[in-house]
Amino acid sequence: MRIILCIKGVPKPETVKVDPETHTLKRESAELILNPFDRSAIEMAARLKERYGAEVIVISMGPPNVVPLLKEAYGVCADRMILLSDRVFAGSDTLATSRVLAKAIKKLSPFELILMGLKSADGETAQVPPETAALLGIPSLINVKDIFFEKGKIVAVRETEYTLEEIEVSPPLIASIYPKLDYLRPPSFKRLLEVRNKEPEILTSKDLGLKEEELGLSGSPTRVSGVFEKKFVERGEIWEGDPEELAKRLIILLKEKGFLKA
Amino acid sequence: MGNFILAYGEYHNGKLHPASLEILTPLREIADKLKKKLVLFLLIEDAERLKEVKALERTLCDEIWYLESQEFKDFKDDLFGKVIAELVKETNPYGVFFPATPQGMALAPRVAGELGVGLCAHVNAFEVEGETLYMLRPSYGENIIAKLYSTTLPVMATVSLHAFPIREGNKRPEIKEITLKESVKFESKLKIRKVKPIKREPSRLTVAKVVLAGGLGLKRRENFEKLKILAEILEAEVGVTRPLYYAGWAEEDRMIGVSGVTVRPKLYIGFGISGAIQHTIGMENSEFIIAINTDKEAPLVKMAHLSLIVDAEKFLDALLRQLKEGGN
Ligand SMILES: Cc1cc2nc3c(=O)[nH]c(=O)nc-3n(C[C@H](O)[C@H](O)[C@H](O)COP(=O)(O)OP(=O)(O)OC[C@H]3O[C@@H](n4cnc5c(N)ncnc54)[C@H](O)[C@@H]3O)c2cc1C
Repeated sequence: MRIILCIKGVPKPETVKVDPETHTLKRESAELILNPFDRSAIEMAARLKERYGAEVIVISMGPPNVVPLLKEAYGVCADRMILLSDRVFAGSDTLATSRVLAKAIKKLSPFELILMGLKSADGETAQVPPETAALLGIPSLINVKDIFFEKGKIVAVRETEYTLEEIEVSPPLIASIYPKLDYLRPPSFKRLLEVRNKEPEILTSKDLGLKEEELGLSGSPTRVSGVFEKKFVERGEIWEGDPEELAKRLIILLKEKGFLKA
Repeated sequence: MGNFILAYGEYHNGKLHPASLEILTPLREIADKLKKKLVLFLLIEDAERLKEVKALERTLCDEIWYLESQEFKDFKDDLFGKVIAELVKETNPYGVFFPATPQGMALAPRVAGELGVGLCAHVNAFEVEGETLYMLRPSYGENIIAKLYSTTLPVMATVSLHAFPIREGNKRPEIKEITLKESVKFESKLKIRKVKPIKREPSRLTVAKVVLAGGLGLKRRENFEKLKILAEILEAEVGVTRPLYYAGWAEEDRMIGVSGVTVRPKLYIGFGISGAIQHTIGMENSEFIIAINTDKEAPLVKMAHLSLIVDAEKFLDALLRQLKEGGN
């Protein structure tokens, strides 16, 4: 049983730089941390490895500075690490990113399950899991809380806005994982030592058989035409002083405005 | 190509998701400017039940289209995606828009993937210039808004929740059943075995008259608890910035901003909130804004009607004590 775990490096908030021309994030120069939503996907992979002895391949599309994050996932549960890295990937929107992931996933056939985080903290779009699934022509579920294998079938528990559902599906499936699992195991020390001298396999656009016009900015149909700054019309009133005094003044104001009973 | 705009009507068990009505408000304007027809479309298991949906009688759209099949009883991501993609291929709309509900966010990227077109996320404003539709969303950096467009048709986007008020139309839209020409098999690989409704009290945050919002400047969870006590006294609802939601201090439906909800209270008080645009986009239309912050230069202080330059913890302590003593 093969599980492909997709993770992403997101810029550490204080280190984000924006390309002044394309208005996309410059990931090469930023300090990357693991997308916090991916922790649940890694944990789910670890649980399934434990339950069913699944093989876990962790993949990530990004610049070479995501390698430590792949190693982090290895430290928890991954058996193989693959970095999808190429200059022409930079600036990809969710569609172009999904194209890269879909090709890489296909290359790793046969597989039963693809796990991803619900969304990424730098974009918050949540689009990549369903979009990749659509490109692969396979089903997807978002916000999955648990996964079982029963007689060759996948049984997934997902939470929607209205319901908690148990869904049966023949593999393969792309599932994005509910971000607040009750427990997230840390990487094991032994595995972290083991991975110190290992390097991930690297796949480029050529290895994936992708053309430059399908990738990066040129392959991304959503474009930024410009950015503008929102200006505030006028500055409001400023009160400074001792907390007790300010509290007293605010209570008076709240009463005047009818937010507190006089 | 494209003399009409499609809006996804999220239908569940006799009801239309209100967010589907919200998105009609900006789409009506866009449709008028671009001289296009506005169509709300639904996938429904039993068209008889459309009568139950009273909201459909007074919507802003010109027409309501529905596709009917037993298979639409439960939401099946792959099937819904395939059917909508086929509907788009056969009818060539100018744009297809979804509310950024959990279902809309599962479905829109499947449709975009099937069609190989661009999809903008969490749009909270639109602009029409000539023939081009621009979609606006906050970007990185202080108070920066990015203006996006799509190089592919149909234009696709998910629209932020509560970003637009629901408006009623003055004519009854025509309701039409649509059948696909291509014989798309209405079959899903997903077999829903068990469904358990969840009764979650919907948070009253989006309709509250007074909102007290907490940010990282509250420093300790204890202080956030104090904010909740203050909220009880003021009959207010509590909201948070993203870092507090990430920290697990509040549920996701309490997060205000581009990734959360939009609020429009009569009074908003932000405690220890810097005012990043991803947050302010969700509260800027509050009638009266008060910022509690130690930093005079924080963006929220700049946009607030009134700012108190003070430590949030000490201020909350003083306020709660005085309110208690005052018998409020
Ligand atoms: C794609 C994306 C989507 C996002 N979506 C959202 C969203 O929907 N909602 C959201 O809120 N954020 C969102 N964010 C995050 C957003 O950019 C900000 O990081 C976040 O809003 C900051 O939260 P904050 O104001 O609590 O913290 P900070 O920015 O750290 O601000 C803390 C404030 O507290 C003040 N302070 C410090 N000490 C004290 C004290 N003792 N007393 C009083 N004040 C004090 C500081 O001066 C500062 O102004 C998003 C970010 C990205 C990249």
